[in-house]
Amino acid sequence: MNPDWHDLIQRHMAGLTTDDEAAALQELLKKDDNAARLYLRYTNLDLALESKASSMDATRELLTAPATIRSPRWLSWRPLTAAAAGIIFGMFCTSVVFGYVAQLAAVKKMPLLVFDAGLDDAKQPLKDGLPDHVGQWGVDSAKILAAEANVKPLLGSHMLRLEPIPREKNVKNHTSRAYQALDLRSQTMPLLGEDSEVEVTASFCSINSDTSSRYLIRAIALDEAPEAAMKGFWSKVESDGVVSQSQRFDTLPGKSGWHTFSMKLRLPPGSQTLVLIFGAVPPEGTSRPALVHYLDDVQVSLLTPQPLP
Amino acid sequence: MLPTREEASEVMQEVIVILWQKFSSVEDFRPWAFGVARIAALRHLERRKRDRHVFDDDLVNRLADLALAQEPLHLSEREALDGCLHKLPAAQRELVLTAYTKGTRMDDLATQRGQTPMALYKLLHRIRQALLDCVQRTLAQEEHA
Repeated sequence: MNPDWHDLIQRHMAGLTTDDEAAALQELLKKDDNAARLYLRYTNLDLALESKASSMDATRELLTAPATIRSPRWLSWRPLTAAAAGIIFGMFCTSVVFGYVAQLAAVKKMPLLVFDAGLDDAKQPLKDGLPDHVGQWGVDSAKILAAEANVKPLLGSHMLRLEPIPREKNVKNHTSRAYQALDLRSQTMPLLGEDSEVEVTASFCSINSDTSSRYLIRAIALDEAPEAAMKGFWSKVESDGVVSQSQRFDTLPGKSGWHTFSMKLRLPPGSQTLVLIFGAVPPEGTSRPALVHYLDDVQVSLLTPQPLP
Repeated sequence: MLPTREEASEVMQEVIVILWQKFSSVEDFRPWAFGVARIAALRHLERRKRDRHVFDDDLVNRLADLALAQEPLHLSEREALDGCLHKLPAAQRELVLTAYTKGTRMDDLATQRGQTPMALYKLLHRIRQALLDCVQRTLAQEEHA
């Protein structure tokens, strides 16, 4: 493929081509299928990036709003999400008409509000164990900190350090974990359908990439409001009103840097609370010491299949 | 195809209204929706035909046909984009998403970063091309997995 095409197409999309260049591009796109496909790939990328940016912008706005006005702002946003449920999320995320129409047949992805998704507030009180309520991180053995030991936060200025729990320590579970509860009532109720799923994404990093690491993402949906759901939580996990999905992810030895993993959970209608668990699983046996790991950039999205043919 | 996002958004709102009004009476939604979008885009382009950035009707129709045929690939590419965005250095990811945030002006963003607008365009150009390459590699790997 001609490398000049990339430049010409991108400059045209930015409105930076001369008359001659615009005419040349038109002729090229008419005659060359590969060039036309490349043009469409750029417009598709443009559309996707704008959609992604709008989603993140909305989330960032909600997250950074002062606590006293967060609720009204969220409520004021709800009619928008409800309207989006009617047709499509991202009415203002469109750059290409045809790309937009293609999106009508896709799965709608709506970001859900995650408290301090970038784990950047080093002053926040971390609850020991499961959080009591939404808007709080709970941890078993972890703390928020800035870059250390050549590991830099993936998003923002801080990350969560998951401390190793030594095998010899007499605790029930040696996986260092972080928890958060989301209130689905305010975020997804207008959109929840039979086939709705939630996608949970998180990034992990090990202090030592010479050995493989194992990470855990678990999502648990409950049909109770968060305050009630968090009481006697573990005893409810196996009950009828609870849907749970857990997935483990392994990294390859020698693969350094951040690793991003995602898992999905089918959300039954009536789900009110989503509990998220992120963990670094210690190595099997006692031959290898448990290592320090880091967690950052947690994202949760509601996936709703477009009900149109 | 429309030359700017603002115009695409404007036309899209027109299209949405038509889709919304007629949705219940349509049996085969997807081709009909594409057709509505195509007519609305052509009508809009007709109004500003002298602009050098506007493609002629033949090319718009050709691209629309191709877009319809490429739709499954484009959906896969959008899915692969998430992973590729995460592979970008954090500063580049932040930049590209800021650049695509509604209301961002390139000249303001360039000033904030102490760059000329042209330098910023070139940087974004490289990031977009890197994303396209990454998406292509990801899909190729998935195909061979």
